[in-house]
Amino acid sequence: MSEVAAVRVKNLVKDFRGPFRGKKVHAVRDVSLKIAPGEVYGLIGPNGSGKSTTMKAVLGLVAPTSGSCAIFGKNSTKVDSRGEVGFLPENPYFYKHLTAAETVRFYGRLCGMRGRVLRDRIEEMLELVGLQEARDRRLKGFSKGMLQRIGLAQALVQDPRLVVLDEPTAGVDPKGSREIRDLILTLKERGITVFLCSHLLEQVQEICDRVGIIHGGVLVNEGRLDDLISLEDKTELILENASSVLMEQIRELVEVTHGVNLVSEGQARTTLESLFLRETQGASSQEGRRQRSGKSRKRIIR
Amino acid sequence: MSSPSSFFSPRRVLIIAQSTVTQLVRMKIFYFLAPVALLFLGLQFFDAIWFEGPEALMPEQELRMHKNICLGTMMLFTSLFAIVSTALLIPGDIEDRTLYTILCKPVPRLDYLAGKLLGVIVVLFIAMLVMDVLLVTTLHFRTEEKLLQTTEYMVKIGYPEREIAAGRAEIAAHGPTILLQFGVLSHFLKACVIAAVALLISTFSTSTLFTIATSVMIWIIGSFQSIARDGLFNDASFGEAPSWADKIVGTLISLVFPDFQLFEAISDAAARAEDVLYSDVGQLLGLSVVYVGIYVVLSWFVFSDKEF
Ligand SMILES: Nc1ncnc2c1ncn2[C@@H]1O[C@H](COP(=O)(O)OP(=O)(O)OP(=O)(O)O)[C@@H](O)[C@H]1O
Ligand SMILES: [Mg+2]
Repeated sequence: MSEVAAVRVKNLVKDFRGPFRGKKVHAVRDVSLKIAPGEVYGLIGPNGSGKSTTMKAVLGLVAPTSGSCAIFGKNSTKVDSRGEVGFLPENPYFYKHLTAAETVRFYGRLCGMRGRVLRDRIEEMLELVGLQEARDRRLKGFSKGMLQRIGLAQALVQDPRLVVLDEPTAGVDPKGSREIRDLILTLKERGITVFLCSHLLEQVQEICDRVGIIHGGVLVNEGRLDDLISLEDKTELILENASSVLMEQIRELVEVTHGVNLVSEGQARTTLESLFLRETQGASSQEGRRQRSGKSRKRIIR
Repeated sequence: MSSPSSFFSPRRVLIIAQSTVTQLVRMKIFYFLAPVALLFLGLQFFDAIWFEGPEALMPEQELRMHKNICLGTMMLFTSLFAIVSTALLIPGDIEDRTLYTILCKPVPRLDYLAGKLLGVIVVLFIAMLVMDVLLVTTLHFRTEEKLLQTTEYMVKIGYPEREIAAGRAEIAAHGPTILLQFGVLSHFLKACVIAAVALLISTFSTSTLFTIATSVMIWIIGSFQSIARDGLFNDASFGEAPSWADKIVGTLISLVFPDFQLFEAISDAAARAEDVLYSDVGQLLGLSVVYVGIYVVLSWFVFSDKEF
């Protein structure tokens, strides 16, 4: 690749030492990954597998025990690597005494923004994350999801080329979480690199180009999402208003064809996420209508 | 967008200082000025009973007492305030993880520390200014009152003109003079130094309580250091020059604990209305800058390797 990688992690090892020379915790063991500019990269793995630690190392918040991290070719331990990156930490927390608008302003100013540009940007950001109504309220009373949103606004304020999101949808309601998903897709369209980790696998599946699976501090699998999840020898067939006669015919056809097995057959289902959305959003949206008309769907996997 | 400089930037320090001031103001810390104001005003009416009778204090003594109480209160409040606010700020940011979001913007850690300390110092300055205005106002009225009473008394007894003028001058010297301001300045500078000490401790301590306790200890040792050192070494080597070992230990102590001897000397002189050399005030300023500088740099060393 001639282009310089947005994120490059090279043989990253991070050990945490317990207090009073206690036992070492190996948070990350030899992780290497490379994220190309414009890519959406998802890191997934169980709790305590080292996702947040990897991200903190990329941002220079923890120093690698060995190995190195770089953002757009600049070493993460140096301050200037942070000019073009926005970070949303897990369970973000900000100064309680500031209002939403003041918070975004503070972070904008830290990035060297000022004047008109900054004022416009604050409004733009608050609108983007849907917090205009709360712009003059102090963060003290904010709910978890609202804090997450202000965290996103803060991360994006200087229009960074790379956004690092540690569980961006944790604590956000399904509607908000869908909005964040759409936001990430918008970022992707604008060519912004996104490095995220999440436990919502459906979402990761929807938005990521590439995925890394980390377990016990080791990157156990990594690759293009399409390659990782497609089951090459299986085909899914979804029929609308299929009669039982047709179903019988299909079954017979499958039976007589050599080397084909019917793996499963049943009523097609909507996901819990879209069900929740349908119930909480009212029947007006297209999505809802589409889902309801699919009542008599049948699903066959061969 | 202007490209943010990757090393120390005064503008960024100011931004962080400003946010610290906002934070402290919104924490309603200025409310502690209310009892101080009440105390200063209350002192105004304190003398009435004392003045008459054989036990009456001399007017200068009374003014001195007023100054002593006020300056002492100012010193106590600013120093404690410096310790507590500094000890709350940085561990608070770490516990809240607010620090993550600040440090992953292009903000060098030195800028963050300097900004926090500057914010505390600005608030200290405002508080000191308010208390100083109160002190000067109450002392002014008090001095006028004493001048009036004394002149009346002296005229009644029939003192010559010259002696009345001398008596008045002596009382006026205990009023709100520039000398008094040096005393206030020394307390302010002391509070700044102790804030820097608390900053250093809060960079490696893991709890607010530890930071406060240790800073208070250093503050006390620093205040009595000269006495402690004299007691430790001069007594032992009675009449002899202190041995080189004593000297080394003494120097080490004065490195770890800031020596507030000069601060105390100047504020004492101010309260007693004795002359203070301008060169001493200059030395005091220099010493404070050096102390604050050393503690900030040490904090930076500790803080730059810190992980969160
Ligand atoms: N500051 C620290 N001190 C000591 N150990 C730590 C520290 N931070 C993380 N660890 C340990 O490192 C390991 C990885 O933690 P990390 O936060 O990276 O997990 P994670 O993948 O983000 O988990 P989760 O899904 O719960 O957010 C854990 O065992 C954790 O206990
Ligand atoms: Mg995590």
